[in-house]
Amino acid sequence: MISGNNSKPWLTTTWLSALALLAPVLVMLLAGIGAPADLFVHLWQTVLPDYIINTLLLGALVVVLSLCFGVPAAIFIAQTNVLGKKYLRWLLLLPLAMPAYLVAYLYTDLFDYAGPVQRFLRASFGWSSPADYWFFDLRTLPGAAVILSLVLFPYVYMLARTAFEQQDQNLLRAGRLLGLSTRQSFFKIALPLARPAVAVAASLVLMETLADFATVQYFAVNTLTTAIYDTWLGYGDLTSANALASVLMLFILFTVVAEQKSRAGQRHQSNRPNKQTEVIVLTPWQQAGAGIFCWFLVLAGFVLPLGLLLQMAFEYSDAEQLSQLMNTGKNSLEVAVYAATLTVLLALLFGLYRRLHRDRFAHVPQVISGFGYAIPGTVIAMAMLATFGPLDHWINDLAEMLGWQSPGLVLSGSIFVIVFAFIVRFAAIANGTIASGIGQIPHSLDLAPASLGVGLKKMLLKVHLPLLKPSLLVAWLLVFVEAMKELPAVLLLRPFNFETLSTQVYQLISDEMLEQGALGAILIVLFGLLPIIWLNRTNSH
Amino acid sequence: MSEILNLQQVAVNFDDKSILADISLRLACGEILGLLGPSGCGKTTLLNTLAGFVTLAGGEIQIDGDMLISPGHDIAPEHRHIGMIFQDYALFPHLTVAENIAFGITKLSKSEQNLRVNELLALLKLAEHSGRYPHQLSGGQQQRVAIARALAPRPKLLLLDEPFSNIDARLRNELMLEIRQLLKKLQMTAIFVTHNKDEVFTFADKVAVMHEGKLLQLGKPAEVCLQPNCYQVADFLQLGSWIPYALSGNELTTAIGRLTDVSGALENGESRFLLIKPQDVEICEGETEGHNVIVNHISVTEQGYHYHLASSSAPAPLAFDQLSLYSPQILALGQNLKVQIKPHNLLVFTKDRH
Repeated sequence: MISGNNSKPWLTTTWLSALALLAPVLVMLLAGIGAPADLFVHLWQTVLPDYIINTLLLGALVVVLSLCFGVPAAIFIAQTNVLGKKYLRWLLLLPLAMPAYLVAYLYTDLFDYAGPVQRFLRASFGWSSPADYWFFDLRTLPGAAVILSLVLFPYVYMLARTAFEQQDQNLLRAGRLLGLSTRQSFFKIALPLARPAVAVAASLVLMETLADFATVQYFAVNTLTTAIYDTWLGYGDLTSANALASVLMLFILFTVVAEQKSRAGQRHQSNRPNKQTEVIVLTPWQQAGAGIFCWFLVLAGFVLPLGLLLQMAFEYSDAEQLSQLMNTGKNSLEVAVYAATLTVLLALLFGLYRRLHRDRFAHVPQVISGFGYAIPGTVIAMAMLATFGPLDHWINDLAEMLGWQSPGLVLSGSIFVIVFAFIVRFAAIANGTIASGIGQIPHSLDLAPASLGVGLKKMLLKVHLPLLKPSLLVAWLLVFVEAMKELPAVLLLRPFNFETLSTQVYQLISDEMLEQGALGAILIVLFGLLPIIWLNRTNSH
Repeated sequence: MSEILNLQQVAVNFDDKSILADISLRLACGEILGLLGPSGCGKTTLLNTLAGFVTLAGGEIQIDGDMLISPGHDIAPEHRHIGMIFQDYALFPHLTVAENIAFGITKLSKSEQNLRVNELLALLKLAEHSGRYPHQLSGGQQQRVAIARALAPRPKLLLLDEPFSNIDARLRNELMLEIRQLLKKLQMTAIFVTHNKDEVFTFADKVAVMHEGKLLQLGKPAEVCLQPNCYQVADFLQLGSWIPYALSGNELTTAIGRLTDVSGALENGESRFLLIKPQDVEICEGETEGHNVIVNHISVTEQGYHYHLASSSAPAPLAFDQLSLYSPQILALGQNLKVQIKPHNLLVFTKDRH
């Protein structure tokens, strides 16, 4: 332990902030567990089995489809001579920037009975009514699965590709010398070794699917997230909503455990990455097939939706929309800036505390503050309401007792609760980025300033902070972008008449008038591109 | 003995840069060749060229008389009948020891596979580990698995890339002897890469010293030590110290005495030096006059003391600052003494300016 760093204020601030971030989830779980048993019995006898089956079915379908999209794409890019590889390599990441509910809306518009595709088919074949032909219905559970997979498969693609590229070249060479062709050694060695990475990706996809709210809500597929939303906003039943959120939390917990397990299995990566000396040479036909497959994913997951949005923006944008956009944009910016700044400051606090306090529990604040990362926005929102609602009542009771004017819902009815929810949800992102930045500072630098007679405060200001600047910036940016995009938590928590970019776009989608918000939607997509650009930059180094 | 490998003027380029040039060597069945050289000299590239991971730019490789590889006629690695032990062993982490060993012989029937795997497990003392995974084994055991896996398809030639670099120094010698005996027993022809000359002396029948993509000298280790053919070979093998000299007629003058009646093709020239091996110098016992060197560093070796001597009275062109002398005698740091060169077969080389 380094002496002099265990100052009381620092210690208390760190632990209190970390516990504060953990508290709402605990409160919600307690409320969920403490819910009357007959409530669960009632839920179980009525809607819960359907919700659970739909949630799990959707999760399974999305995982399977994402694997079908992502793994072949990773193979084509990492191991073959597919055409346009240089561009496809990063183009295939772009769908991550596209919110699934936008794609859902745009494709419904495109493919439903009144949409251009069916109109065209009817005109070409002379059909006149739905009875004349069969056409798929996108607004179903499988439809939602396809849409979600189209924007989530890049997780699988990215992790699988990295796994292939970082495999030890010598393993494949050993395979060759033992009699395998390039292709055989890929299937007998490279593919089995990439399994843990693919499993990690699959659990990430599952987590995102479990957390999705807007797509399933739009498609009227009843899952746990939509159930939470309806129970609270529709029926005002906080206890049932809490109970449902606790059930969803359990599923998430299983996924997190699965993910951690798979990560532990990734010990096969080497520091002698596969330098691409040998690729599987495809025949021209195979090359064309692989190329079409990859380009289809880029088109369907990103280019086509963005194109439709741009077209809408060109056709329908006017001055009124612009001023509305400015207004909601300002709100989004405000909460995102608060959230990003506070999250990064807290993450810095946790990170430095862990580094400089060398006691057995120094890592605990960082770890517990990061628990929120896997929790869906709807669940976090419920946790916030379960915590700050009673707190507000208590404050008001206190004010009344003291004869003051009632302050109203100062916590749960203001943007405070949104910012707090964001910090809980995104703390892990900032923690991770800053922890890896701190990890790169040699431990001797913690000791050198003291040996030069420089105190702790000056050391942090002059040594650690300047060295951490890049990580702080990246962490801020990542949290900022996530906060700009976050939808369900804001939907449930926003004060009356408070609209952000994403809630407005979602509102317009629900009202089937996205044209009015195309500009805002484009803005959300553009913000979503920022971390991908960053990801691609760090990956290519 | 039949010839297993014949390289004629092998050349390799990476992006128009010459990495290997004009490499010719022959290897008879059962011989073990050590490729020795500083890092970056091309020895690993040569190994990869033989394995088929690098394509030829010129020359040809003949394996066991009937397989010919040339720039116009490449043969894929999997068809060369060459086994390789990688520096980090490259064991398949998802397969057990037995599965790793059987990996290259899946074309055989199941019973034949089992027979051969068991044979190798016994030969390499791995029988009790057959069901384990590579990460459950020690470094030495992993290496034995790598050897068993490479030997299973009965290759004509075995390549070893720095096979002993990951082995604990204390176990290294023992392991080298064990593997050498094994290869000899199996009559296996092998080439291994190393930058450690001691490994060559313990493990190899022949040594090839490489430098900047060229093969400088090929021969038995003892012959190469006795008669290195250029400065780089003698220097890399650390055969002795280099001291300057002056030649007039057939009399050769150095800072530590004169040698008369020198013959051969000695000549004066810019940066030419005389190689003095430790066994070629001796202390002139009992001399109190005519001291010519001073002790400027002492290190202890298991055989006695290793003294670094510098000339103390020679004129500038003949002065030197490092001559190695091994002696059981105890000398003090800074002590002056007289040494002389024993008559021997003189070796003189031009030092290049690298």
